[in-house]
Amino acid sequence: MFETQETEPIIELEKVGIRYGRGPEVLSNIDLSLQRGSFHFLTGKSGAGKTSLLSMMYLWQKPSRGRLSIFGNNVNFANRNSLSLFRRRIGVVFQDFRLLEHVSAFDNVALPLRVSGMNEKEIRKRVNELLKWVEIDRSTSAITSTLSGGEKQRVAIARAVINRPDILLADEPTGNVDNDIATKLMKLFVELNKLGTTVVIATHNENLINEFKYPCICLKNHNLTIVPAGERKNDMEI
Amino acid sequence: MIWKFKSSRHQELPLSKDSSNLFLKIMISISVFLFAVTLAGVLAINSMLVNWNASILGSLTVQIVPVSNSDRQKAHEEMLEQEQRAVALLSAMPEAKKVTALSEDQLQRLLRPWLGDDVDINELPMPRLIDVRLKSGAEINFKQLAEKLATVAPQASLDNHKLWLNKLINFAAGLKVLALAVLLLVIGVTSGAIFYTTQTSLGLHRDVIEILHIMGAKDTYIAQQYAGRTAWLGAVGGIIGVALAVPVIFLIAHLAHQIEGGIIDEARLSMGSWLAIVSLPVFSSLVAMQTAYYTVKRTLERMM
Repeated sequence: MFETQETEPIIELEKVGIRYGRGPEVLSNIDLSLQRGSFHFLTGKSGAGKTSLLSMMYLWQKPSRGRLSIFGNNVNFANRNSLSLFRRRIGVVFQDFRLLEHVSAFDNVALPLRVSGMNEKEIRKRVNELLKWVEIDRSTSAITSTLSGGEKQRVAIARAVINRPDILLADEPTGNVDNDIATKLMKLFVELNKLGTTVVIATHNENLINEFKYPCICLKNHNLTIVPAGERKNDMEI
Repeated sequence: MIWKFKSSRHQELPLSKDSSNLFLKIMISISVFLFAVTLAGVLAINSMLVNWNASILGSLTVQIVPVSNSDRQKAHEEMLEQEQRAVALLSAMPEAKKVTALSEDQLQRLLRPWLGDDVDINELPMPRLIDVRLKSGAEINFKQLAEKLATVAPQASLDNHKLWLNKLINFAAGLKVLALAVLLLVIGVTSGAIFYTTQTSLGLHRDVIEILHIMGAKDTYIAQQYAGRTAWLGAVGGIIGVALAVPVIFLIAHLAHQIEGGIIDEARLSMGSWLAIVSLPVFSSLVAMQTAYYTVKRTLERMM
């Protein structure tokens, strides 16, 4: 039921509009089709609707109008349980991390596996491995609120990728880390992408966009344009 | 599904720090205390009703009223003769299991609670009483029996206890319904308190619940965490409530048994009744768990 054909878009938006309450539309007539295994940067000024677009993609926000399909399913007609199952296949990195501050780094990263019902032995193995990779291995049992901004960001990224998601959505994932770690994290995203994960990264980081040549989804004046890899001009707003 | 707590061993929701926990614990303790005392009352009334019903179905009393005669001695002898004839007639009945003519001592003991120790009972025109225990399932034609008795003992009157016991039974049954209504009210009030505190808690932990949902948690995953926590509070509150109620029930029973006359004496709590009372924490835990579980499921569907 939830599988998409290789040629079918993994995310598809058709004439999608989104508004909050009775306010004006934040996004209008958005048409977007992301193929399985694609990699995109998402750019646009603050308030351009990047977060709204991402929240629609991780199925938290339903479109006010238009059609949103994910894994070949029209989410407008999906029930709550189906939405939960879809979300388990989507990894999300939030700009403000949105970690559970009162539990340990380990428990934060283990969360997507636990809600999926994985056994604890397997969870321990996978989480410890990943935390070591993101260099949090010495403070895995520390309560998250005691971690530094950079550490929290790495925990948030580990949480997003632990489930080997089909789609990875990241909102400014390298905002609080130095360039070396930013590059290392980007390489992790690239590796995941090579394994078949569809990646969308919202960023203002020029260096990353220039270093990693991927197409850009540009949001401007509530509308969306796709700029192919390498064709982005330096004066374009990010 | 509600029993599947495996995935809830890790409490992502910080429910143990909720300020409403103490309120719920006290609320459940009070509710279980009231429930236990009322339940004890219901069970005691029930045993009383069973005993009284058995009395109606299984016995009858024959009274030989004193003969009117200016010679008291002669009247007394005449009454005793009638009693002997009545006992003989009743003993010959195939439905009778045991026929006992009450002795003077027994009659005095029965009347003492009503008349006190200062009255000389021998000075009063005392009737004679014959207690007849019937075989189980025996059916008596009272009219026919009364006619037969009249031939051997004209002063005999037959009392099958139905009239006065029926009034008592109706009264006790009314009390029982009232007590059951109180029990339902206690369950309703407690469930209401759990419902509102759970809703408040869901609002407080909205951020965490959002994250859980985004990570793919189903409503049941969240509901199980609430159900587990509330079940624990229900069990602790229940144990406190029962611990407070048991001495109170003993005290009430002690006071009730001091009332003479044999009516309250029939109200005894059986082993089964005590078992029901001490197992109330399990019941309170289940009610709390179910209420929290369905409150979370229902609220989340509307909230997000």
